[in-house]
Amino acid sequence: MAGPAIPTIAEAARQIAAKQLSPVELTRACLDRVKSLDDRLHAFVHLTEERALAEARAAEAAIMAGGAKGPLHGIPIGLKDIVDTKGIPTTCQSKILQDNIPASDATCAEKLAAAGTVLIGKTTTHEFADGGPSFDLPKPPARNPWNTEHFTAGSSSGTGAGVAAGLVLGGIGTDTGGSIRGPAALCGIAGIKPTYGLVSRAGVAPAAFSLDHIGPMAWTAEDCALMLQALAGHDPRDPASADRPVPDYTALLGSGVKGLKIGVIHHFHEVDYKVSEGTQRGISAAIATLRELGAEIREVQLSPLQDWQACGSLISMTERAAAYEEWARTRLGDFGERVQRRLQLGALVSGVDYVQAVRRRRELRAELKAAMAGLDVVLTAAAPGEAPKIDNVPIWDVFDRPSFTIPFNVAGYPAISVCAGYGEGGLPVALQLVAKPFAEPTLFRVADAFEKATPFRNTRPALAGGSA
Amino acid sequence: MPADISDQALEFLLARAGLDLTDAQKAELKSVYAGVAAMAERVRKPRGIMVEPAHAYGFNEEDL
Repeated sequence: MAGPAIPTIAEAARQIAAKQLSPVELTRACLDRVKSLDDRLHAFVHLTEERALAEARAAEAAIMAGGAKGPLHGIPIGLKDIVDTKGIPTTCQSKILQDNIPASDATCAEKLAAAGTVLIGKTTTHEFADGGPSFDLPKPPARNPWNTEHFTAGSSSGTGAGVAAGLVLGGIGTDTGGSIRGPAALCGIAGIKPTYGLVSRAGVAPAAFSLDHIGPMAWTAEDCALMLQALAGHDPRDPASADRPVPDYTALLGSGVKGLKIGVIHHFHEVDYKVSEGTQRGISAAIATLRELGAEIREVQLSPLQDWQACGSLISMTERAAAYEEWARTRLGDFGERVQRRLQLGALVSGVDYVQAVRRRRELRAELKAAMAGLDVVLTAAAPGEAPKIDNVPIWDVFDRPSFTIPFNVAGYPAISVCAGYGEGGLPVALQLVAKPFAEPTLFRVADAFEKATPFRNTRPALAGGSA
Repeated sequence: MPADISDQALEFLLARAGLDLTDAQKAELKSVYAGVAAMAERVRKPRGIMVEPAHAYGFNEEDL
């Protein structure tokens, strides 16, 4: 990789396959960026430099001898630090697991390694994928590469920051209420929460069992498609894993959106929780762009965002409290303050509350299914605005700031966040696209068409050189 | 569901959960109880006794 330009995975894969780009040089360039930028970004909690260079050399030798085994061969990536990695510390950013070195890889780590990726390191997360930016954890929180005074969102904060700044070309995030799509939105990258069950959760620390999703984060939707190709598929180690054929996620890229029907859930971001002017501008411009590209735009009405938030939050509070109950009882003080507070919430939710939330979940899913009957995708905001200052993130926002992303964890539908421009502060704003279960190819089709029709993939954060 | 919780009720819930909190932590938790109560109200809609939860399941071939 010469000069400041940071390739996408797709670009790097083409050059590697053509033997015009060395995986070793690509890896060295990423490691150089880590060394020059990560003291400001804190995107990584653990670097695997020696392993990365060994994997890159092995990839290069294999490619020179027999060609690349796929588009991820020789591609530098990061794994969120709640993903088990054999022989590599997996701390979940918690004092409780500071000495944890897993004996085996999570399925997603195993699959990406089998695809030939190069592991640069473990990326920063909120503690056990919960809470928010915390300053009382073993490592500092990640910072936004567009402005390091600002938050990345979370909990896949290091992957978001690392991809945006070109420290890696892609990475793994996890998403229980928006932890892939939030950081993707605030860091100006693409991030997809796939259909529930499409990517195995085995070997990944839980946040809330029935809401947890694993997915890729990268600079473009196309790159996410390439990563999802390696990640998707049945895994008997995950009881929620879907046993169905894996389609070609790149098959519809370049097909455009002509004739597709896109529903806009205006009331989510204009009434239920009004987004910033910059985000509203970005969404309105995106709708106009998609219409110009030939999509039919329709209106969609769902239950208020607050209903989805209540349902998802009650389930999340309870399932999280159940997962971490033993440590909450015996080692509460070893969690950071934000997670302590979140775990305490579980005590306030009764068993009946939980079951009513799960009954409500069935109703809300049915509602979304009916609303999407004649549509290919729906569209709303991914985040309420640009990234806030990192020292100005409320602890209890769950009660008064409904999430635009949690509805699709509740429903289990696939959803992607893509960059929709920049707000008044010069930081990214984003939109969210949602497809029917297992219709990820359609989701990538629309997201890719939008990205290619707009200039937002041409600019990286100034800290990373500015140009893409 | 009431939007407030008494100290006694909070103590009971915390004891049942096995959580040992400081007075300050208890006061903070009490201050957000209304938010949890509002959410619990929101998920209660008029519905008959036959409405199933989302995770009711069926056996598949692998279970047999």
